[in-house]
Amino acid sequence: MPENTQPEKQRGYKEIEHDADWALQVWGADLTALLRNAALGMNRLMQVGLPGKPVWQTRRFELTAGDAESLLVEWLDELVFWADVNQTIFTEFDMHRVTDTHLHVTAKGCRITDIGRCIKAVTFHNLKIRRVACGLETTVVFDV
Amino acid sequence: MVANQTFEQIGKYVFEIPRTFRADMRVPARFFADKPLLAMLQNDKCLDQLVNTATLPGAVGYALAMPDIHQGYGFPIGGVVATQLPDGVISPGGVGYDINCGVRLLGTHLERTEIAPHLDNLATVLNVNCPSGVGRGGHLRLSAGELDRVLQNGAQWARKKGLATDMDLQRTEENGCLAGADADKVSPRAKTRGFNQVGTLGAGNHFIEVDVVDKVFDPKTAGAFGLFAGQIVVQIHCGSRGLGHQVCGDYVKQFQKAVHQYGYKLPDRELVCAPVSSREGQDYLAAMKAAANYAFANRQVLTHHIRRSFEQALAGKVDNHHVFQVYDIAHNMAKIEEHEVDGRAVKVCVHRKGATRAFGPGSPELPPEYRRTGQPVLVPGSMGTASWVLAGTRDAMTRTFGSTCHGAGRTMSRKKAKKMIRGAQLREELEKQGIHIRPGSLSGLAEEAPAAYKDVNRVVDVVHGAGIAAKVARLAPLAVIKG
Repeated sequence: MPENTQPEKQRGYKEIEHDADWALQVWGADLTALLRNAALGMNRLMQVGLPGKPVWQTRRFELTAGDAESLLVEWLDELVFWADVNQTIFTEFDMHRVTDTHLHVTAKGCRITDIGRCIKAVTFHNLKIRRVACGLETTVVFDV
Repeated sequence: MVANQTFEQIGKYVFEIPRTFRADMRVPARFFADKPLLAMLQNDKCLDQLVNTATLPGAVGYALAMPDIHQGYGFPIGGVVATQLPDGVISPGGVGYDINCGVRLLGTHLERTEIAPHLDNLATVLNVNCPSGVGRGGHLRLSAGELDRVLQNGAQWARKKGLATDMDLQRTEENGCLAGADADKVSPRAKTRGFNQVGTLGAGNHFIEVDVVDKVFDPKTAGAFGLFAGQIVVQIHCGSRGLGHQVCGDYVKQFQKAVHQYGYKLPDRELVCAPVSSREGQDYLAAMKAAANYAFANRQVLTHHIRRSFEQALAGKVDNHHVFQVYDIAHNMAKIEEHEVDGRAVKVCVHRKGATRAFGPGSPELPPEYRRTGQPVLVPGSMGTASWVLAGTRDAMTRTFGSTCHGAGRTMSRKKAKKMIRGAQLREELEKQGIHIRPGSLSGLAEEAPAAYKDVNRVVDVVHGAGIAAKVARLAPLAVIKG
């Protein structure tokens, strides 16, 4: 993954301390931005290595869940699945429709040469999407 | 927040948080520690998480934490909770995503001096033959039918394939196959993740380690386990890989609805649960058993690869390179067991999340050769430090639902470890100590540095002192293959 040189505030995510696992603080102007930033933050945690000449592919995802937190877990879990099974990482997201319970997105990604760190799963641990001054914010804990 | 004044010391190594601490607690909580460990566990939220587990419907006795307790998600790592059947609950988060993550110990007839000239080559061959890394597939690609047979039969599937011995099965918890597994309760998505990962190590804190038995504390029990001072042994630490992760994730999502249906109010969504006897509970239990069987098969196939590696690296160079199984034990599992609660024998669902079963002498579940000693309890340290072989005790049966610690327990976040420790430097230091390291990645190595963990010797001193396991032998690392 190329180094993201954006200042942390603009990046929309930050790794925070967790004893056993990994935790990511994520924020965005709305749920669309939050979901996108969470995916990018998770990519960064996984320390993926892109090939010199990536073969890009696009994939459409249509996901539903009971509430916004469940949708976030569902979305990140979907990306973990693709990383685990196909070694494919998605880096660009065209969010067509996002509600608290529904996500329709076209994602662009490629097969990668290396995943530095393993994410087993995305947890619901203390998961709450909060309204803050800049929009929405949450902390996701990953099992590693 | 659990503070000092919240708990009371009720024994040399036992502390209790009374049920009155929080209105939603159904049972008191107890944890095992000495003074320095106590200071460490107050640095994170593990005691609050322990209190949260005491709120699970149907919980009996105490919500327990072993001395390697540290902050997890939902349950603390090192947590043990038993719920009474039929109405008590089962919680997928109380087992964790790596269902039947566990440890297998293999013995050899080799001594350190015999293997020393060949150790570097052995480490390399093990690294080549035992696939590791994120999403890394193994040498086997299973058909759908074959995968279902793995899920139903666990390590017994490997026996039919010529990848296991009868002794391997006899010396595996539940003979390597949990009865009642149902492959149909495992989602197609989970199965997709499982087709090519049997016989793979994975990444993170999983490892294969060649050790030497550097001290024997109980020669009689060590003898019964086939262990002696100076002996070369091998540990495998891994679980059910992507398939198990997916099974847990699938049911944690499904159970989000079940908690509303059953009217449970829980302090954390990761603790979602359903009665063991309910349709949801039974479905999860059957799927969890299938994933656990996958993990038994996984460690069994890795054992086969280790035997191949010993053959490849040592045949003709040492007298006897035969590798035999000492024991295989889970530390992330929910089991239906009978235990004594308030003087009555009751059927309970024991959740062990980062805790090892430690059944004592006389337990009928153990293989005949271990019934007099209690089961072998395998406690890996962090690379570069000791690991331990303990024996289960009668005290554990009455005080901790037959459970004890599972490792050293982390004391430093991965982020901090990465900041403080350079992987390359750590590798150099370990190699200076004579430990041959084959890391999956240097940053992963740094995250797993010994400094990020508690002192495993202290953790073991506590369980030994508290009587919930007994010291048998200590192991020192010689070669570490990290995922």
